[in-house]
Amino acid sequence: MRAFDYATASTVDDALKLARPGSAFLAGGTTLVDLMKLDVLTPDRVIDVNSLPLKGIRLHAGGLRIGALERMSDVAAHPVVRAVHPMISKALLLSASGQLRNMASIGGNLMQRTRCDYFRDVTSACNKRRPGSGCPALTGVNRGHAILGTSDSCVATHASDVAVAFVALGAQVVLRGKDGGRTVALEDFYLLPGSTPDRENVLGPGELIAEVVVPVLPWARHSTYLKIRDRQSYEFALTSVAAAVDVKRGVVQDVRLAAGGVGTKPWRLRAVEEALKGGVAVERTFADAAESAVDGARPLAHNAFKTSLLKRSIVRALLDAAGVR
Amino acid sequence: MIGQPVDRVDGRIKVTGAAPYAADTKIPGVAYGYLITSTIGKGSVTAMDTDAALASPGVLAVYTPFNPLKLFAYVQEQNDERFPPLQDREVRFFGQAIGFVVAETWEQARDAAGLVTATYQQQPPVTEFPGRTVRKFEEVEEVVGTQDLGDITFTASYTTPFQHHCAMEPHATVATWNGDHLTVYTVSQGALLVQRRLSETLGIDPAKIHVLSPHVGGGFGGKWGNWAQVPLACAAARALGRPVKAVLTREQVFAMAGHRPMTKQTLTMTCTADGKLTSIVNDGVTSRGLGGNWSESVANWTLTTYASPNIRVTKMIVPLNLGAATVMRAPGEANGSFALESAMDELAGQLGIDPVEMRLRNYATLVPNTGKPWSSKHLDECYRIGAEEFGWAKRPKKVRATVDGDWLVGTGMATATYGAGRGQASVKVRLHPDGTASVSGTAADLGTGQYTVFAILAADELGLPVSRVRPELGDSTSPAAANAGGSTSTGTNGPAVQLAAKAVQTELITLAVTNPRSPFHGKDPASVVYRDGSVSSGGVTMSFGTLLTTCDVGGVEAVGTSPRLVDPEHGYRSFGAHFCEVRVHRLTGEPRVTRWLSVCDAGTIVNAKAARSQIQGAVVMGIGQALLEATEVDHATGRFANANLASYLVPVHADIPKIDVRFLDRPDPLVSGLGAKGIGELGIVGVAGAIANAVHHATGVRVRDLPITLDKLL
Ligand SMILES: Cc1cc2nc3c(=O)[nH]c(=O)nc-3n(C[C@H](O)[C@H](O)[C@H](O)COP(=O)(O)OP(=O)(O)OC[C@H]3O[C@@H](n4cnc5c(N)ncnc54)[C@H](O)[C@@H]3O)c2cc1C
Ligand code: SF4
Repeated sequence: MRAFDYATASTVDDALKLARPGSAFLAGGTTLVDLMKLDVLTPDRVIDVNSLPLKGIRLHAGGLRIGALERMSDVAAHPVVRAVHPMISKALLLSASGQLRNMASIGGNLMQRTRCDYFRDVTSACNKRRPGSGCPALTGVNRGHAILGTSDSCVATHASDVAVAFVALGAQVVLRGKDGGRTVALEDFYLLPGSTPDRENVLGPGELIAEVVVPVLPWARHSTYLKIRDRQSYEFALTSVAAAVDVKRGVVQDVRLAAGGVGTKPWRLRAVEEALKGGVAVERTFADAAESAVDGARPLAHNAFKTSLLKRSIVRALLDAAGVR
Repeated sequence: MIGQPVDRVDGRIKVTGAAPYAADTKIPGVAYGYLITSTIGKGSVTAMDTDAALASPGVLAVYTPFNPLKLFAYVQEQNDERFPPLQDREVRFFGQAIGFVVAETWEQARDAAGLVTATYQQQPPVTEFPGRTVRKFEEVEEVVGTQDLGDITFTASYTTPFQHHCAMEPHATVATWNGDHLTVYTVSQGALLVQRRLSETLGIDPAKIHVLSPHVGGGFGGKWGNWAQVPLACAAARALGRPVKAVLTREQVFAMAGHRPMTKQTLTMTCTADGKLTSIVNDGVTSRGLGGNWSESVANWTLTTYASPNIRVTKMIVPLNLGAATVMRAPGEANGSFALESAMDELAGQLGIDPVEMRLRNYATLVPNTGKPWSSKHLDECYRIGAEEFGWAKRPKKVRATVDGDWLVGTGMATATYGAGRGQASVKVRLHPDGTASVSGTAADLGTGQYTVFAILAADELGLPVSRVRPELGDSTSPAAANAGGSTSTGTNGPAVQLAAKAVQTELITLAVTNPRSPFHGKDPASVVYRDGSVSSGGVTMSFGTLLTTCDVGGVEAVGTSPRLVDPEHGYRSFGAHFCEVRVHRLTGEPRVTRWLSVCDAGTIVNAKAARSQIQGAVVMGIGQALLEATEVDHATGRFANANLASYLVPVHADIPKIDVRFLDRPDPLVSGLGAKGIGELGIVGVAGAIANAVHHATGVRVRDLPITLDKLL
């Protein structure tokens, strides 16, 4: 860890004023402080945003609004969240550990960095951490890495669980900057690595996430978040699937699907959604539709199993969400 | 009292945070050391620039191979580093200590360490296993009978990955000098292991080295050796004339403080049609990290487990550019049993014989490789009780025969056995005027319950409640008791505690009859008896506390020494059987252990509660070995790629079912009067095999390469 300045702000404007190149906002600190200890992040100023009024969970006409500073555990336990979008609650409860969820904020969660072990080790080359230095994961240890949305520069997954649920539901993030605010679909908020894996999202310098807005879909109460991993708890996903499905008289009317653990960003599965609509809600249909999930997948030496695992996870999640046995 | 479930005597101070671990040691004026480690896997350091670090705030010194602290070569083999740190410029592995920064605060030391730059002459590290650099046969052991080889032949290879101990407490050492006397607070599985090593490398009389290691936050073999922070903290403290504290980071623990080596076993077995083994050949290959000397004799478990007229085991060693491989819970045997227990299951399946029956048909009533009788062996009873309690008879013969919802269900079993014996140990018991007794030896409690074993055995012998006995461990000035290794602490130290507690009674009686202030003064010692904390004679009874107070004597003490057991006529081992149920999801393949039973034959059980928890802990570790744990190497650099507790997966609570443990609790008549064999490592042996067998029964898929992860089951 390197020496740094510490500042606090109690209004969004103050926080934005304090921000400058090389500064970092501090929410729960569960990603930021970790990476500072490893020298991966070396901000010269840390701006504590925990007293900003970016809190609250409200159901509005426009949707379910979640303040960026709400803690993961509070969002997961919130009765409105659980009633309207149980998959959000489930995705959060399958994330990290109880202690971490009590500290960690929703904004910080969306901004968390990849768990690629090369990214987290400063002795390793890494295009995301040190642009142009190379990507050792391409030929090194890559069992946990992405198969979708990868480039020759970077194959790291986006690690957030709840972002997968948000993307499935078409959530938007409200951003606040020195020049005012803007709203971006979360799916477009994240960038593919391309040749600039160091740029992970569209957030400008000194811009903040203020809120997440999730549209309400009455049928999306039939939803699930499935997370597949080696151990049963306290691990990032090998694959995960957020699924909501509207089945009437045994036929799929509408469906939302997104996957985690496989993409360089939370991965909406539109082709699978399209293939499912109008289909009979049985395992066979789900399995056929899931085939297109891995179109364009680029497996690496140790993660080829993810193509099969992703398809199987989709089937399992759909069976669950649709209540089909 | 022996064999009752007794709460840990150190439990309260541990859960309340009052127990002092090495890194908690507070010494005024302490300076902090931080290790600089190599960022290449092989080559040499050609230059180091330390100017910026030396100019950095609070920095007291920067030691490097170009400005080393003098350390003499290591002589004694401790399964750890071959070379004292900073004495040469060769880099043998990624993460090797190449510098040591000492500063006023830990943060300053760490900051300054980040400012040191090293220039290397680099070579490609060799880290692929088995690779091409396999050495010729290192060891071969053979039993050759006359019987014809049977008609059935089975052959298969099994591999196990690198693993790490992952003790919760990282390696820490605090050193302080008073003139030419050194006091060291450190993590250790035996204070004397530290004392001897430091005497060697610092070049001072061991009598001038006082080692204190009262509490250890897990060892599992990783704290048997002394790693770089130990000599560096001591030598720097001497050079700077200040106490120095050094704690390894988790990444450093992974890189330099030992790991379980990678192994491969190729088993070839022949048997008759009714499943009687006629030959077993196990060709074992083990890695050795070039930072050390140690490697696993992985095939040797095959020598002592099943009866066969012909047994041959071999060992080949693959030297790799890695830190020292070292002992890790049941070294050689945890890995060794995975292969043989899987193979026995495969062979049984091939022949249509029940796996328990297969083991009974090849039951070794004599030690297979020597033909000698066992000191005691009730393994057949473990199988029988285990099968009955587990409901083994209901097990479908066919694989993939049980489905519960979306889960494929299977069961498996395996044999556990681990070496037993008794070393030499001395222990002191002292009676105090306040009516308490203390019992001390250099032994270590790594969380194993050794404190409580000392307390129970002394209390039992002295007729006192456990609460009036104060065990004192981990101090090199105590009599030399057994280090914590090889599951021999209780078997070795226990008899010495009993002897000392007996001897102190004689001392007390001598005092009673010779001290003029004693009411028993002048009596015939034979007329004076000690019982339940009191001395009595001729109708007069006095507690030892009152007696000592009356006599104005500060205490009486005695040392008991129990000699090493030398018995060339018998084989000594602990035994057990594991039974488990595993579920595998039909779509996504994740294996989950859902039921567990272990039945153990480990001689006398001293503390039913701690013993159960030892076996449970070992089964947990075995579940990790079977399903989760593997340290991956980045071959381009030679770095352990997942050297942190988020990426190296140990089991969490959710992975662990209820673990049912039964002990036969039959004293071994030959090991000692106490009759206790070892339990610390026994519990992990066979676990991975039992799980692999259950996974096969559930799915029909045989996984021969650990860990058994879901990708191997899709
Ligand atoms: C051991 C471990 C296991 C974990 N497992 C999981 C898991 O299984 N699934 C999962 O989803 N996550 C997991 N996490 C990640 C965890 O969810 C994140 O660390 C957490 O959500 C980050 O939130 P925070 O408030 O602590 O963020 P901080 O650490 O405070 O900040 C993280 C980053 O976000 C920036 N930031 C914070 N708030 C804002 C804002 N409002 N606007 C703009 N930028 C902001 C910070 O500057 C920083 O760069 C795990 C973390 C750990 C340490
Ligand atoms: S995958 Fe991305 S994050 Fe990982 S090493 Fe490559 S560039 Fe860095």
